[in-house]
Amino acid sequence: MSTLLQEDRTVVIYEPNQRVKMGFVRSWVYMLQNIYLSRDLVWQLFKRDFVSGYKQSFFGVFWLFISPLLGILSWVFMNMTGILHPGDVGVPYPVYILLGTTLWGLFMNFYTSIASSLASGGSLILQVNFPHEALVAQQVAQTIANFLINILMISLIVALFGVSVTWKVIFFPLTLIPLFLMGSAIGMVVAVITVVVHDINKMVQFLLSILMFLTPVVYASTIQNAFIQKIIPMNPMTYLIGGARDIILHGRINNSLPYGVSCVVATVLFLFSWRFFFLSEHKVAEKI
Amino acid sequence: MSDDIAVRVDRISKKFVKNFQRSMYYGAVDVMKNMLSIKNRTDILRTDEFWAVQNISFELKRGHALGVIGPNGSGKSTLLRLLNGIYPPDQGRIEIRGHIGALIALGAGFHPLMTGRENIYLNAAILGMSRKMIHAQFDEIIDFAEIGDFLDAPVKTYSSGMYVRLGFAIATQAHPEIMLVDEVLAVGDANFQKKCFDRLLRLRDDGTSLIFISHSMSAVERLCTECLLMKHGQQLFLGNTRECVQRYFHELSMENLERSPDSSSIGVGDVKISDVFVFQEHGDKKNPNIEFGKNIVIEFKYVFLKKESIKNQVRIGIRTMEGRDVQKMYFHESAFPDGKIHTNEIILPLKKEGLVQFTLIKPRLFPQSFRLDVAVSPLDMDVHLGGMVNAATFNVIHPSSGSLYLEYGNMSVTEFEYEVSTQ
Repeated sequence: MSTLLQEDRTVVIYEPNQRVKMGFVRSWVYMLQNIYLSRDLVWQLFKRDFVSGYKQSFFGVFWLFISPLLGILSWVFMNMTGILHPGDVGVPYPVYILLGTTLWGLFMNFYTSIASSLASGGSLILQVNFPHEALVAQQVAQTIANFLINILMISLIVALFGVSVTWKVIFFPLTLIPLFLMGSAIGMVVAVITVVVHDINKMVQFLLSILMFLTPVVYASTIQNAFIQKIIPMNPMTYLIGGARDIILHGRINNSLPYGVSCVVATVLFLFSWRFFFLSEHKVAEKI
Repeated sequence: MSDDIAVRVDRISKKFVKNFQRSMYYGAVDVMKNMLSIKNRTDILRTDEFWAVQNISFELKRGHALGVIGPNGSGKSTLLRLLNGIYPPDQGRIEIRGHIGALIALGAGFHPLMTGRENIYLNAAILGMSRKMIHAQFDEIIDFAEIGDFLDAPVKTYSSGMYVRLGFAIATQAHPEIMLVDEVLAVGDANFQKKCFDRLLRLRDDGTSLIFISHSMSAVERLCTECLLMKHGQQLFLGNTRECVQRYFHELSMENLERSPDSSSIGVGDVKISDVFVFQEHGDKKNPNIEFGKNIVIEFKYVFLKKESIKNQVRIGIRTMEGRDVQKMYFHESAFPDGKIHTNEIILPLKKEGLVQFTLIKPRLFPQSFRLDVAVSPLDMDVHLGGMVNAATFNVIHPSSGSLYLEYGNMSVTEFEYEVSTQ
């Protein structure tokens, strides 16, 4: 089904309903295989976007270091001036807000990058046959790379405020996986739809930015507000963000049961939307 | 599949939706059904759907070239995208044996800010080449593309010629076993076209199977032994290229005749014009297809119904199908005693009735369709004694051999030389 796969298949066949006929597990293998075989392409696309993203800017790659700091400035300011009452967060507020917004930012970046992957590859999709999974893989790689640079900044700040971490922080990377699953679950569905209906991506982005305020990101989960207190226990993002933050701040995951449930929800959503993506993305070319 | 067959296409069809809203709706319905593991009925047309490609079958052997020709909108490019796997088919089956390359968009995915060198790796990766392959052929690519010192400059500084040359060089350097070519020879200057064409010939001779879409019949005839003629998504003819090209021109002229407005008489009715033909010199009077560069004969009969006018002129107008004047020619009875033909002035002794033949010598009319108006008028008055608008339609077609077309470029030069004979 793609030129790249011809390395191991001598005859390529195109037939109607080819993808529906492919079973769930088989299609997993197929897509992962595609990503593996197009690793050169993923790397080239990664390089292209990384270079172009910073080539025409004054600060260049340093944006990656300063942007998390700029991002929390306004929150810290509002907190210091008393406009914002985040409740008892247990650690210095700048550390709390930095962790919260960075984790939320990671989730959002997984979403936005994947959601725009097909649309931004639009003309390419019409002109050349290549595994479109490569576009998604490249976006994920890009997001992870940016996050790794962010992490350097965060460790510095956390150390600066004298917050001690336990050895259990090594589990921190694992807690990012559910964030990835959740972000890409929404992203893959939107990626396909947004090719046809351009504003769906913006709409979902807006909804997600509202969701941030219904998740303890900039305030503590103990915040005194009846409405928010009703929402946040039902919001899986509360636990997915909270879990990752807890690992760093407390060396354990509070609310481990709802955290587990949220992880399962994220996984199920991911599998569902991944199947959706698999079944529909190859039809995208004719709708562009 | 026997070993020497590279591509086998078996009754392939593809449908599209005319209406955008419906297209989205059907898309949503189809995906929802698929999510429940229900296969889509792809064999029937729903409201607003049409077959862009229908029931196309062919086989292509290794080292052979198949031309795909047809009027605009006949589904050629859709067929190519089906073969390339960009569109999934709705009916039928495509079997492709070997690595497939496509010359559809040259320089796809080039990033303007990246250098030529970086873009070679990027573009090649998009086309499915490994880094090793590119390394091995890097010098050949830049050699063919003739980008010289610009190799390490951002491609946004490239001329458009350099841009397509580089794209072409990368795509053909992959040495695919099957190559899809969609009208790329139309870009670039004559030198580049020739170079690309030579590269395609060499690829074919080295064993690459080519599928070649083009409107240039001379290119198709030089490159392809077999040819597929498409119209309205359907397969009209498959076989010998010569025959196929002739069928194509026949189709074109039929289409033009259908499209051409009805001829109508004009003038005061003193003269009747009839039996108007336009044809290639020494050719069949009934065949309105004239090869580019050949002499064109315009023939008609006239009868003076009333009084015989003393000094008359014949007016001939050639127009494009859209109605744009290409050339107006006035031929009148001249008083030149030497009997020589002067430009636009010739002795034309009109009798009571007779037959006139004009021969346009090597008119450089660009291949397309034209229509003809004929009228007879008195020399000193701007009135038609009689005449016919849209009296005939004729097509100038690409030369079947040679590159006359390339030599002359794309100009329509409308200064004619001509000969006249009357009976």
